[in-house]
Amino acid sequence: MEVEKQIGGAGATRPPGFPEGGLTRWQRVEQASLRVPFRVKLAVVWLAVLAVLGVLFALVQFDLGWMAEHIRFISLGIPFTLLISVSAIILAVVLAVLGSLARLSRNPIAFGLSGFYVSFFRGTPLIVQMFLIYLGLAQIGGNLQTMGYEWGGLLILEGLLAGILALGLNYGAYMTEIFRAGIQSVAHGQAEAAQALGMSYGQMMRRIILPQAVRVIIPPTGNEFIAMLKDSALVSFLGTVVSQMELFRRAQLTGIADFRPFEALVLAAAMYWALTTVFTFFQQRLERRMSRGYVRAGSFQLGGGAGGHAG
Amino acid sequence: MAVVPNGPVVRLQGLHKSFGPLEVLKGIDLEIEPGEVVVVFGRSGSGKSTLLRCVNWLEEPTTGIVEVDGIRLEPGHRTRSKREQIRRLRMRCGMVFQEFNLFPHLTAVENVMEGPVAVRRVDRTAAREQAVELLGRVGLADKAEEHPIRLSGGQKQRVAIARALAMEPTIMLFDEPTSALDPELIGEVLAVMKALATETQMTMMVVTHEMGFAREVANRMLFLHEGDVVEEGPPSRILTEPADDRTRTFLNAVL
Amino acid sequence: MRRTRFSVVAVLAAGALLAAACAEETTGGGGGGGGGQEEPNDLLAEIQSRGTLRVATDPQYPPQSSLNDETSEWEGFDIDVATEIATRLGVDVEFVTPGWETIIAGNWQDRWDVSVGSMTVTPERDEVLHFATPYYYTPAAVAVREEDAATMTDVATDFDGATIGVCGGCTYEFYLDGSLNIPGEEIEFVIDDAEVHTYNTDVPAIKDLEVGRLDAAISSLTTLQGAQDEGSAIEIVGNVFYEPLSVAVDRNFSLDPERFVAELDRIVQELHSDGTLAALSEKWFGQDLSAKT
Repeated sequence: MEVEKQIGGAGATRPPGFPEGGLTRWQRVEQASLRVPFRVKLAVVWLAVLAVLGVLFALVQFDLGWMAEHIRFISLGIPFTLLISVSAIILAVVLAVLGSLARLSRNPIAFGLSGFYVSFFRGTPLIVQMFLIYLGLAQIGGNLQTMGYEWGGLLILEGLLAGILALGLNYGAYMTEIFRAGIQSVAHGQAEAAQALGMSYGQMMRRIILPQAVRVIIPPTGNEFIAMLKDSALVSFLGTVVSQMELFRRAQLTGIADFRPFEALVLAAAMYWALTTVFTFFQQRLERRMSRGYVRAGSFQLGGGAGGHAG
Repeated sequence: MAVVPNGPVVRLQGLHKSFGPLEVLKGIDLEIEPGEVVVVFGRSGSGKSTLLRCVNWLEEPTTGIVEVDGIRLEPGHRTRSKREQIRRLRMRCGMVFQEFNLFPHLTAVENVMEGPVAVRRVDRTAAREQAVELLGRVGLADKAEEHPIRLSGGQKQRVAIARALAMEPTIMLFDEPTSALDPELIGEVLAVMKALATETQMTMMVVTHEMGFAREVANRMLFLHEGDVVEEGPPSRILTEPADDRTRTFLNAVL
Repeated sequence: MRRTRFSVVAVLAAGALLAAACAEETTGGGGGGGGGQEEPNDLLAEIQSRGTLRVATDPQYPPQSSLNDETSEWEGFDIDVATEIATRLGVDVEFVTPGWETIIAGNWQDRWDVSVGSMTVTPERDEVLHFATPYYYTPAAVAVREEDAATMTDVATDFDGATIGVCGGCTYEFYLDGSLNIPGEEIEFVIDDAEVHTYNTDVPAIKDLEVGRLDAAISSLTTLQGAQDEGSAIEIVGNVFYEPLSVAVDRNFSLDPERFVAELDRIVQELHSDGTLAALSEKWFGQDLSAKT
């Protein structure tokens, strides 16, 4: 064809759009590249990234021996990271169910309280909330005791518990919005059909709306859990007992003890990355299962856009 | 089978409905006798769906009175006792929606059971028996364990009819039941509706454009135009010799 | 139905988990209500009837206090001193690890009894904390990178205007901003106009020095030497001041701490006179810092 004649050849007329001298180098590269499958290109990219990381590693000059010695100790923090995350997410879900129903309610008390809750816990940094709960509740508890109320002692929480409480409250506020959007995503006609049968509001929610909302809510909740795995590290700032230290605290203390904070933190980063990767894998499978055979085209997509945490 | 009451099943008095500045119903009075099949038709925006939905209080009229089977409702503040009233009135009405509105997380038989079990506290086994029987009557006994997603539009609507019937209503309300269906599926739904009228003498109020159905089954037809009942009468007359020009124009366009 | 049951079980399980976590804590709760027949009437009695001394320590301060990950226990000079004090009080020792800022701020809400954390007595801290007799003394020293050791040799002259890293809330920070006041010590502020970088503990400051983000770091001599032992390529140039370090007790306890402080005083003096402190100092610092030089 015309193209064949042009390459390397001068003279004959060219179709418009072709530069002098035939295909440009870039165009030739493009043509060749089209023949290489996507997966292969992806593998090449990954290898390149790993190679760059390898070079960076070598430049930093890690004490790899130290890392090998201490990796086991640091990894023992993983169960506590999971404990914190699971406990906090359960608290957050409970708060989100109550909060979302309150946001949809016409009751001024419910609507007002939930509005305040969501605004405050989404409007202040998580670390600030942790300290407020850890220090503030203890202060209130101490003062109550001084005033003679012994039960004030219950407010003086350990670091771990204060951290879980703060995480639960914080994530509950974000998830309130997710749950609310999920409930509202259930088509209005469902509520009408339930009402037409004579169901009360409570029956309608419990039997018809919430079961359908749950399917939409589960995937973004999974995302929140993955984010929480990382935020659990902030609990370490509240100071914890040796027997309850989570991943970051262990890395922090071991590293500082041997004047190798960086090596320790790299190990911690790798472990967090592994954790989130594993859960993300299951999360994606869950999302695919939830949308199969149920939601048709035009399904309501809830993700980071509906008020969840970034990443 | 519904218990046949004395006097009209439904009585609407002076029904007005406005959505903000837009007045959709301009003072409707209507009585439906037991066993009657009333077809309401008109252009979109004429208020026919709104009228139907006022009967079971899915729309609250701006002014006016709705009475179904002796239960009387007026617009006003929803106290707890009023909410109970509304529920009781709705239990007397069975509603079939244009978009079916089946519960997707339940199977067909569970959909039909849902009303009796949740609202009338019927024992599950008994409710299931009744549900299976109802599904049989609409011709879907073999689809009892299917989820709605696996059913065709016509099948879904028939399940919806069975679901409404399970509550043993005094009146069945149909809001354009075939408008969302592919043409070849319309017939099976209309057949069920016709059987309901002729075999069980169910009181029915139907908003529809299916004039063939109206001719065969309706006792009375109402033409609604911009919120008013412009013309009313038996289908034999309305469909052949409409008295009002507006009725005639509409029918010419539809038939 | 199944879904509701599952979530109920999940909530109960979480509740059980949390209850178990709570049960482990013996550091929660205030001063009142210890075991024994009589109501403890002051902090010392409370500690003795409880049988445990709760010590606050910041475990990011080797070789005074850090984590030994082979034994999963705290170790260090301060740890040993605290354990010794507890033994002489006739009770067990238990360590709590709040942040340094929380410890020096006072108002401990009865969460722990005493801080054995190489704390320097300053008038500001004295307002909120009781201090016992100092248990050791360290010089605060200035360190630079090895390669700078030739050019930066005189503390009095070579560090004006330099970028210096210190731990935040520590006496080293107060030294650099000219506000340091140690009762009984004469302090010469020889470094002018330093650009001060604060860190939440000493080790990151030393690390930043190694990397080159800082010209110098100031910390206790013991910590700097500890870093060198672990391979840190730093040189110690000289001392800038000398600090006595004491155990501290919150003034604001719900029970009266007077007798407890007096007892701590007595024990610390005992530890001095029977050579325990000298021995521990040799063990951890390679030199006897327990006596004032």
